[in-house]
Order: sequence, then structure tokens, then C-alpha cells
Amino acid sequence: MSTEAEQTVKLVSSDNVEIVTERKIAERSMLIKNMIEDLGAPGEEPIPIMNVSEAVLRKVLEWCTHHKNDPAPTQDDDADSRKKTTDIEDWDQKFMQVDQEMLFEIILAANYMDIKALLDVGCKTVANMIKGKSPEEIRKTFNIQNDFTPEEEDQIRRENEWAEDR
Amino acid sequence: MSKTGAPAPPAMPSSKDDINGTWKYLEWGVERLMLSLNDGVDLKTYMSLYTTIHNFCTAQKAVGSQSSSNLNSSHRGAHLLGEELYHCLNEYLKRHLQGVHAEMVKHADEALLTFYIKEWKRYTTAGQYNNHLFKYLNRHWVKREMDEGKKDVYDIYTLHLVRWKEDMFGSTQNAVMDAVLRLVEKQRNGETIEQSKIKDVVNSFVSLGIDEADSTKSTLDVYRQYFEKPYLEATGKYYEIESKQFLADNSVVDYMKKAERRLDEEKERVPLYLLTEIMQPLMKTCESALIAEHAGLLRDEFQVLLDNDREDDMARMYKLLARIPDGLEPLRQRFEAHVRRAGLQAVEKVAEQGEGLDPKAYVDALLEIHAQYAALVQNAFTGESEFVRSLDNACREYVNRNKVCSKNSARSPELLAKHADNVLKRSTKATEEDDMEKMLNQVMTVFKYIEDKDVFQKFYSRTLAKRLVNGTSASGDAETSMISKLKDASGFEYTNKLQRMFQDIQTSKDLNAAYDEWVSQSVNKDDRKDGVDATYQILGTGFWPLQPSGTTFSPPPVIAKTYERFQSFYGNKHGGRKLTWLWHLCKGEIRANYIKMNKVPYTFQVSTYQMAILLLFNDSDTVSYDDMVSNTMLQKETLDPSIGIMLKAKVLTPSTTGPPASGTSYTLNHSFKNKKVKVNLNMAIKAEQKQEAEETHKTIEEDRKMLMQSAIVRIMKSRKQMKHNQLVSETIAQIRTRFSPKVADIKKCIDILLEKEYLERLDGDELGYLA
Repeated sequence: MSTEAEQTVKLVSSDNVEIVTERKIAERSMLIKNMIEDLGAPGEEPIPIMNVSEAVLRKVLEWCTHHKNDPAPTQDDDADSRKKTTDIEDWDQKFMQVDQEMLFEIILAANYMDIKALLDVGCKTVANMIKGKSPEEIRKTFNIQNDFTPEEEDQIRRENEWAEDR
Repeated sequence: MSKTGAPAPPAMPSSKDDINGTWKYLEWGVERLMLSLNDGVDLKTYMSLYTTIHNFCTAQKAVGSQSSSNLNSSHRGAHLLGEELYHCLNEYLKRHLQGVHAEMVKHADEALLTFYIKEWKRYTTAGQYNNHLFKYLNRHWVKREMDEGKKDVYDIYTLHLVRWKEDMFGSTQNAVMDAVLRLVEKQRNGETIEQSKIKDVVNSFVSLGIDEADSTKSTLDVYRQYFEKPYLEATGKYYEIESKQFLADNSVVDYMKKAERRLDEEKERVPLYLLTEIMQPLMKTCESALIAEHAGLLRDEFQVLLDNDREDDMARMYKLLARIPDGLEPLRQRFEAHVRRAGLQAVEKVAEQGEGLDPKAYVDALLEIHAQYAALVQNAFTGESEFVRSLDNACREYVNRNKVCSKNSARSPELLAKHADNVLKRSTKATEEDDMEKMLNQVMTVFKYIEDKDVFQKFYSRTLAKRLVNGTSASGDAETSMISKLKDASGFEYTNKLQRMFQDIQTSKDLNAAYDEWVSQSVNKDDRKDGVDATYQILGTGFWPLQPSGTTFSPPPVIAKTYERFQSFYGNKHGGRKLTWLWHLCKGEIRANYIKMNKVPYTFQVSTYQMAILLLFNDSDTVSYDDMVSNTMLQKETLDPSIGIMLKAKVLTPSTTGPPASGTSYTLNHSFKNKKVKVNLNMAIKAEQKQEAEETHKTIEEDRKMLMQSAIVRIMKSRKQMKHNQLVSETIAQIRTRFSPKVADIKKCIDILLEKEYLERLDGDELGYLA
């Protein structure tokens, strides 16, 4: 067991690039952790991370490296802290200062690889981008085309009247 | 279900939302995990399976956006995919277990057990792998369904357990359990078994306890119903049969050993392969079958064990019966009756001595039984307080109500006080301090059981007075020690007088020293020669159980001169105190210079009365009875025995034989001879002793009346008004520490108080206090 900390694993991205990293870092991903639990330490055998490209995987591993010593989250406290969108630590905020496409790629990768904390940070970042904006501004931010008819828009406004700032 | 070589893997589904293609691929993977996990699964396959599930669940964004025009459905958030996969897996597990079940029914007994365990382990291990592979489904679709309160959706591992419980367990658990029980029975019969098998079954049954309300938690319900219950039933039945058979062929004593061993075995079995939760009900079942069922038989044997002093066996019986509810009470009753019987018999044996019963023999008889059974309580019954109480009850009975006190209940305290007197009196052989302490403690042991503690107090204070006045105490320390023991046991009031008596003697010593100094300073030499050397004891009236003598007495002039001098000294020191001389308790020594045969003159130790008689012979060798009467003023009852002793000792020679009477004259015996130089003529007169005892008993009756009356007045003074019955019972409670009063006596006392108008009768059986 003493060598577990120094063990490395070889990850292979969807575009077939091998990335070697510490086992401990890779195990921030529950997918990899469970797999090693089930199949044993992989040694030289590469682990295919089929849905993640090299660029994104490197970014994800950067995050995992920084957070490799975080305590494992307990089931209770995430329900609460997840709701506070502004609650992102400085390093993570800087980490998330990437273009939108990369941001969504990171979120998808975190979901796929089952890295809950990273998924939360990603979603909080997106939520902060939405907060305090009008629908029109949001559409602009995310480059969304308004496909509602005026009648539909009217109906939505009426239904959500209770939530409006007055 | 071919086990040789897995079929070649189908291709990963090309289209993400193709359920048929997706499941076809997944089924191949799940089947591999189920059937040939030992062959290993490579990383690529693992990741492919996971990714396939992930892709299926995330594929249909297009479908989602198509339905975005449906505004009502958007209320419950995004539609999550995966239901089809869940159902496919569920159906697969059903089919899979059907196959396992068909295989299982071909086995029986131990082979069945082996098969069950093997299949269970294989199935649950694969279940854990699947749980990880389907993690994405767990995280999203399953979680959402459960959050929305769907009852029949479980996480993937629990789904495996649910399927096993429904498709395997329901129809096989009885057969499995029968096999388990047969295995346990084999072990009980002394065979070696594979214990781990039972442990595996226990774990399996525990795992199947899925909490319907919250599938992340487990309950012991399944285990309790299908394992614990039949296990306990079988255990009870086994020991019921075994114990009956064993008892038919063996003694109760052997049975107890066997039962003890069996209970230990069952207890040891629990940590080996059962849940600790079973300990309590299991022990209860065993205790019921092994002990409670035969409790009557055991108890009947108890008397035999008592009669034969079988301490070890009694200890064993105690331990066994202590385990069942109300198991010991009948033992205590038998024990109490037995000790009482033993005590009564011991007393009966010494009672044969009749009137002249030796107090030591009596007390020893009481103590021996107590010591014997106190040891038994300690050794066999772990000193349990309830048994101690039974012992105390029995001792109290035989100490207060035995053959010796059948006529007079006060005999026990009287004899105990006499025994204490003998212990504390100076005797020829010196007593070691430790022995003394031990003997005093023994006295206290009996004292604890004495009900008429007031009687003991009376006799004790009398004997203490005598020891103090006569200076016959073995040691002052022992006296103090005894008094403080009595004080500890019965309180300050009980020993107050005893303590004062003891103090008086100490103060008298100082007083004598002060007097001697006063004499040497203020009385001139010639006057001093007139008197006699004397020491004085000043005893407080009311503390000492002493009365002035009934007889008149005129002390000889020489003594009168001496005590008058002391009286004037004492009068100066303590004005207003009146001194009453207790002549009957005084004594002195007289030197017989008239006997010339011995080089050293004889010394007679005599009472003051005898001294007065003998001093008359200083003037004449012959003195008549009538002269004695007129000079000493002593009454016949005292004078005659005083002379009698001197006649018997041949100090005096009478003119005629027969009892002393007017007309007889007495002559000094000049040729008196004795081996000792000091001759004791001051012997207590038998008749006096007996009379004293009777008087003591009489004063006890009087004191008791006073005690009861004062208790009644005390109670009424604080309560003002009270029902008759209540007053009686409260009075009993107050004075029980001194003696056990009779209700009739208390009623009499109440009547006396009514007459004296301390109390009045009110309506409805009430009594009132009159200030």
C-alpha cells in the first residue's frame, strides 16, 4: 500500500494521446477509482477515457492535481453548499476563466468521469453567468436564438410573474 | 448458459440512442461479469461498457429539444433517460436467477448449502461490479426516480438483492435453513463442522434485509424472521430433549455441570458465526430449556446440598437459577428456613445445661451457625444482598425465639451481656488485644440481631458498673472500644449513660489525686494517722444503675472519721452536691496482726460490713451476735451472710453450730491458716445475684412503659391529632430499635395517658393532644 501514493496510471484521451498521471490524482474521478477498485491497479495498461479529448483531459487533470488532497465529500454537505452559486474559491474561479466551449467541455467531462466537485464548480460558474441578467442578455451571452413566438413569451411571463423583481 | 469461453463481443452500438443495440452490447458485458469474472475483465471492455451506458443516457438531447414546445412537461425539469436500461437489466436478472434456481433444487442438505453460498457470493460480487458500471444510471435516472418517491426503483446493487430475495430466497430459504440447523446440531453433538458456511448464510440473510422506506439502509427483519426465529426454535427443542434424557439417567448435580457447560458453549458459539444481536434471545431460550424447565427439580436438590454442605454445587445452582427470572427467591426461602432450623438446633443442644447455662456456650452456639452460613453466602451466593437478608432474618429468628428464651424472651440479651462481661472482666489468662477485639466483634454480631436491645443495655450497664466500681476491667481501651461499637450500632442516646459512667471513673482518679494533695497540705500529721488510706469514686446519680443499700449501717468510727474529712474537702470543691455512700459496694483490706504463726501477717480482703464486724474484735477476742447487731446496725439479711463467709473461711469460730442468731457468740481463730497471704472474704452473695437479675427484669418492664409513653407523647405533640391505629403503628416504628413492643402494651400506655389527661378521645377513633 505504501507505494500507492507514487503509483502512476496511463490515461488515453479520445484522440489517442497518452497522459501519465499520479494514481491519486486520477482517482478524483469516481469512474477511475471504482474501476481500479474492481479490476485492480492497471499498471502499464492504458485506461481509455473515451469521451474526453486531450485538451479537455489535461485541463481536468490540472484541476484534479490542485485538489488531490481535498477530503472526500460527504453526502450531506453537498446538498447545501451546491445551492450557493457564488461560493467558488479563488483558484477555481481563475481555473474556470476559459472560453465557453472549453467550459462546457469541462462540465461534460466532469459528468462523464464522475468528478462531482468539478461538476459543481462548472455549473456554479455557468449559474453566475446567468445571474442578474435579463433573458435578452442571457441569449446574447450564450448565443441562443429566441425561438419563442410572442404568444409563448407572454404566457411564460404570466406564469412566472411571482418571481419578478419589483 | 455456456460456461466455456465467452461469446465474441458484439460491437459497441453505433447509434447512441439505439436501445436494442445498446442492450445487446451491455448484456454481453453483464453476462461476462456474472459467469466468467474469474477470467478477468480488461480495462477497455470496462470503459466501453461504462461509456455505452453514459452515451445512451446522454444521447437524446435532440429528442429533448423536440419536446421543448411542450411547456407543461418542462415543470419537472429535464427528462432523464435510462428507464429502458434499468428494465432490461431487471429482466436479465430474473432470467439469470431462474437458471440458478433450477440448478439449486437439484441439491440437498450440505451440498445445497455449499451451492447456495457459492452462487450468492458469485452473484453479489457481480452485482457490485454492475453497480459501478451502471453508476451513471444510478447517479441520474435512479436518483431522480427515488427522489420523486418511486418505491420499486433501487440502485443497481440493491436491485440485485431484491431480485435474489424474490426469485431465489423465497423458495429456497427453508431448505437452506434446515441445512444450517442440521449443521449446528452436528456441532452440538460433538462433530466438527465448517463454521464459515453458517457465517456466510447469516451474512446473506442480513444483506437481504432491505429497508422498504429507504433502500440505502438495511434492516434485520429478514434475518430475524428466517434465521433467528428457526434457530432459536431448534435450539430450544434440542435442549429440551437433551436435558430430559440426561436427567433421566444422571443426578441433578451432574446435570447442573452439564447445563453450565452447555450455556457456556452456546455463548461461545455466538461470536464464531452468529450476530451478536442473537445473544440475548439465545441465552433466554437456553436458560428456559436448560434451567427454568427443571427449576423445581433443582430447588428440591438444594435442601440435600444444604444438608451436606456441598458449597461448590450450591454455588453452581445459584449461578444457574440467578439466570432465570424469579429463580432465586425459592432458594432464599429454603435457605432462611434451613439456617433458622440449624440455629434452633444448636441452641437446643446447649439449652440442656438448664438454668446454669454458660453464657459463652450459648453465644458461641449462636455465632457458630451465623459464621457457617455467612461464609456460605459469601462463597456460594457471591454475597448477594438478598441472601444476606435471608441470613439476617433467620438469625434474628433463632437469636430471639429459641428454646432458651421460650419462657423469657429477655434471656438472649441477658446472656449476651453476661458473656460480654466475662470477656471484658480481668481473668487469670491475659487476653491479647486482637483476640479481645475479635471477641467484642462477635458480641456485636449477635447484638445486631437482638430485638430487646433495651434489655441488653440494662444488663450491660449493670455489669459495666460493677467492673468499674470493683476495678475488674481487663482494659480501659477494650471498654471504650465496646462502648463506641454500641454507639455505632444504636446511637448516642443508647450509650450515653455508659459513657458517663466511664467518665466518672476517670474524673474520680483525678479527684483522689487532688484530695491526697489537699490532705498532705492542710491536715496535720497526727490527725492524718487517725484515718485510713482510702480512695473514693464519685458516681453521678442517674447515670449509674446503682441504688443505696436496703440495710441500715453504722460505719466504724475510724472509717467515719476518714470519710467525713473527704466529705468536707468535696463540699468545699463542689458546694451543694450531696454524697450518698454506697456501703454495700465498698471494700477494704484488713491486716490480721493477731495471727503469729506466719512471718508475714495475713491480709483479709473484706466488704465494709465485714470490716465493721472484724474491727469489733480489736477490743475483745469474743463478740456476741447481739453486740454485732447493735454496733453495726446491719439488718439480718446482710449481717448473717457476712458472718457466714467468715465462719466458712474459719476466721471466726462460733459458740454453737447452726445459722447465726441471737445468743451465739464468735471467737477469733488465732490458729487461722491459709496458703495465700491475701485472703478474699468479700464474696458476692448468691441470693443477691439472683435477686438482682430479677430486679433488672422488673425495671425493664417499667422502663419500657416509660419509653412507650414518651414516644406516644412525642408523636402526638408533633401531630396534635391522629387515628388510634396510626398512632400504634408509628409508636412501634419509633421504638423498634430498642425492643419489639406488643400492641396490647401500647394500648395500655395510651389508656394511661388518657387518664393522666395528656391525650383526649375525639370523634371517629381519633386521639387529640392536650398541651
